[in-house]
Amino acid sequence: MPTAFLQLSGVTKSFGKTRALSDVDFDLLAGEVHALVGENGAGKSTLLGILSGVISPDQGRIEIEGDPVVIDGTARAQALGIGTVFQELSLAGSLSVAENIFAGRLPTVMGFVRWSQLRHSASDILSEFDIRIDVERPVDSLPLGTRQLVEIGKALSLNSRILLLDEPTSALTVDEVDALFRVLRRLRMRGIGIVYVSHKMAEVFRIADRITVLRDGRRVSTRPVGETSPASVVRDMVGRHLTALTDAKNVPGQPALAARRLSRRGEFTGVDLAIRFGEVVALAGILGAYRTQLMCTLAGILRPHAGTIELCGEPVRFRDLRDAMRRGIAYVPDDRRTEGLFLTRSVTENAVVTTLRRFTHMGLVDAGASRAAARQMVDRFHIKTPGLGAPAGKLSGGNQQKLMLSKWLQIDPAILLVNEPTKGVDVEAKTEIHQQIRQLAAAGKAVLVLSSDLPELLAVSDRIVVMREGHVVAALESCVATEEEVLRIASGAERPIPGEAA
Amino acid sequence: MSLGRSEPLADARGPGRLVRLVLGTRELTLAILVLAIIAGMSLASPFFLSLANFRAIVIGMAPTAIIAIGMTVLLASGGFDLSVGSVLALSSTIAAFLLIMGVPITLAVAAALVLGAVIGLVNGIVVTKIGVNPLVATLGSMLIVRGIALVLTEGFSLSNLPPEFGWAGRAEVIGIPFVLWVTVLLVLVFDLAMRNGTFFRKIYYIGSNEKAARLSGLAVDRVRILAYMLSGTLAAFAGVLLASRLMSGTPTAGNALELQVLAAAVIGGASLRGGEGTILGAFLGVIFVALINNAMTMLAVSIYWQMIVTGAVLVLAVALDMLVLRRQE
Repeated sequence: MPTAFLQLSGVTKSFGKTRALSDVDFDLLAGEVHALVGENGAGKSTLLGILSGVISPDQGRIEIEGDPVVIDGTARAQALGIGTVFQELSLAGSLSVAENIFAGRLPTVMGFVRWSQLRHSASDILSEFDIRIDVERPVDSLPLGTRQLVEIGKALSLNSRILLLDEPTSALTVDEVDALFRVLRRLRMRGIGIVYVSHKMAEVFRIADRITVLRDGRRVSTRPVGETSPASVVRDMVGRHLTALTDAKNVPGQPALAARRLSRRGEFTGVDLAIRFGEVVALAGILGAYRTQLMCTLAGILRPHAGTIELCGEPVRFRDLRDAMRRGIAYVPDDRRTEGLFLTRSVTENAVVTTLRRFTHMGLVDAGASRAAARQMVDRFHIKTPGLGAPAGKLSGGNQQKLMLSKWLQIDPAILLVNEPTKGVDVEAKTEIHQQIRQLAAAGKAVLVLSSDLPELLAVSDRIVVMREGHVVAALESCVATEEEVLRIASGAERPIPGEAA
Repeated sequence: MSLGRSEPLADARGPGRLVRLVLGTRELTLAILVLAIIAGMSLASPFFLSLANFRAIVIGMAPTAIIAIGMTVLLASGGFDLSVGSVLALSSTIAAFLLIMGVPITLAVAAALVLGAVIGLVNGIVVTKIGVNPLVATLGSMLIVRGIALVLTEGFSLSNLPPEFGWAGRAEVIGIPFVLWVTVLLVLVFDLAMRNGTFFRKIYYIGSNEKAARLSGLAVDRVRILAYMLSGTLAAFAGVLLASRLMSGTPTAGNALELQVLAAAVIGGASLRGGEGTILGAFLGVIFVALINNAMTMLAVSIYWQMIVTGAVLVLAVALDMLVLRRQE
């Protein structure tokens, strides 16, 4: 048994009242890939943040090769030999691969860059790990998977002994994943320890030596890959077997919106999906399932490359979002701050933006009528606001979310596509939004809900459609489905994608 | 409906409330400053408070004020237009050119206005449909349009216009220059339109969050193109009025006017971030700058100092805005 290279014991971290990590132990051996898995909010990012020096723990001890260390800041992490590749790549796109690898440390003579030395050093580092990239090319011109390798090369150029990878394959193609894994295996042979954070069960079991599961900020298990199975890892991640049931599930009616073999190149392929009036369908999946792209296509924002969309049984082709809106489809975006609301404009203005025409007489906005409509929405959704004239940015997250939803209900849509309805809102607002969604279905609307919150999906929907890597891989009845089952399917722990050899 | 800027908060209380209301509402701040300058100057210079001086100020600032309307609309939408000075020059030369050729006045004026609208249309299409940055797109059209005016006239002014054409530039109605009537009318109409007009409300939505506006089903590109067309048309109209006053088409007129207009609009509360600004504010900004310049002329301060003061006022106005904003947050 080799000794632990990196050892964390009793690490605890709170943000305000939320305890992100409690008393977590974690160790990494030299030359192993140690996967770190867990649902959203399980504490993976916090742990990674602590190791990379971005977050400082409240309690706990960190040792590297037996010596206690304090990782205060990213520079310190680098000095200790810890390299991090975050999900958001931090490369300068218009600069060359070599310049990126040696960003901030360019070899110079009297203030001038020594280009030939830069090229050689960069190629040396990359070829040492068998990464084949032309170091003079601008990073922008490389495919995403290759950029990931550049980022890894950059981390290695700092003589890293420990490499932290956060969801490294979320945007990669199958071939790119293979290339990445080849590099990771080579790094492992060189004795570099790798912490690998991922949602994707299939990949974790391909590359990892050990798997640690976090849940609600605690370590649930750490097991060698040979002694566990995807199913038991998922069970550890979910932890509970309860299936949330809502009281009133409806009897669905006529077909409202359907996708038939719908495809977009490089995103989703051959998607079949049908929503009927009076039901809530949930779209489940993990990062890289292309659920948002599918939803945007159904809303007329993106165009399909193949397949058809059917509205009330008739094939339609949306010219754009406005066209889809006119036909009674509302798309509620997931990011209320950048896509949903006008934060500097008043609550009233936000409430009526989708229906300006209704409040217009002879080219002028009827201020009284629009305020009355806004007042109605504020009352119906219990939106807490200092006043109808207050800028939307002054509202809390939950109230902003309700305002965004109400803005879309103004057009009285027959079909509602909701992307992450409760991202970052408090429990109370969450419950209210769930009730509103159920009421809309009860009133005969067709609702499609995309969410990364599994309990939410189970609670609010009648049916769950699971997507993985651009394919619909399963459709389940919400009343019998479990979180565990959905997660297992979504993460690829079982059921290969149709038409592809697993 | 609401003002272009976010409304002063209702929770502001106590003695600081009045100060905050005044500092938080740019129109009020400027109105008070304008009155202060007028009062101060009346005491400082016996010539300031004369009809002749006021006429000079008003006639001089009219083109700037008219162009500032279009510029403020564009700023509120998150864009801006550097070609306005050039459009003013080309419109005045084209109108003069057609008049000299014997084209009737109404037709010549209409042609100049259509030309302004077309330049705006091109600006708008290049910015929205092709996606060229507004700075680059309108910098390009600024050079091109100015170039066309100079090529057409080989750099000379076109004079010998029919005497009737000079009416608009010289006439007075009830003792007040016709130009001022027109300017004030335009300012009032567009100020009300920006506050209550559905089309202009869309401008604020787009300027405050273009992505959300698009996802809310607003025809973002169409609105932005129309805003550029409005700016071009108003600049052309200012050019026609200028030609009428000078009785000539001047290809070099309105040099650096776009920057003066931008400065006045920003002093008046508009922002390059988009989503804010009112026509009344911009108009007061124009008056404010015109008064400061006039005051310095009256006090025999060198004309070069006027640039320094205008620049300082511009930065001060925006800095003050930032400070008020920060205190609110």
